[in-house]
Amino acid sequence: MAQKHVLFTFSHDPYGSIWYTEGLRAVVGVTSGIDEHSVDVVYLGDGVNFLRKGVDRTDSTRYLGTLAKLGTRLKAEKESLEARGLSAADLSDDVEIILRSQVLGLIQKADLTIDF
Amino acid sequence: MANLYLLDKAIGQNALPIAAEDKGAKVVLIQDGVYLNTEFLRKAGAEVYAVNQDAQKRGLTGGLPSYVKLIDYGQLVDLIVANKVINFC
Repeated sequence: MAQKHVLFTFSHDPYGSIWYTEGLRAVVGVTSGIDEHSVDVVYLGDGVNFLRKGVDRTDSTRYLGTLAKLGTRLKAEKESLEARGLSAADLSDDVEIILRSQVLGLIQKADLTIDF
Repeated sequence: MANLYLLDKAIGQNALPIAAEDKGAKVVLIQDGVYLNTEFLRKAGAEVYAVNQDAQKRGLTGGLPSYVKLIDYGQLVDLIVANKVINFC
């Protein structure tokens, strides 16, 4: 299997379910192994709540550390942030804000998408 | 090959505005996704489908707008094979 580019989208609030951390585990899994697939990680809708400053990341620290080493940044859709009254100042430092049109660009670029 | 958005309700809600910006997008409403309001997708020119069995179970067969094409799971498979799937369900 050749290398693929995979887009991961996160749409669930971070607590009360395991979507957010299992999703990050899957991201790391996809980047590992012989094919070393490349990834984008985008937070949409309520998923952006994971990116707030001060969120307890204990469950996902290792996954995030691995992604940081790979140079993968966590991306948040600007329109989803605005709908929740959030701006860059409310978010963790490792987050990049992108426009909805850029999310669409990532969708176009991806060989496949996986949602959590 | 178009982008084929598969939308359930909870996650699919987030994909609606993205699909609306995606020229030539096809959107399939699956399971609780049949409850989604897709009017602005129609205005954006997207093709909108709903899985008939999922609409029937929820009593929505007559309640969906006329621009929503009802398909069965066999037709859904055909769409999946023929297009690039963007999964939001």
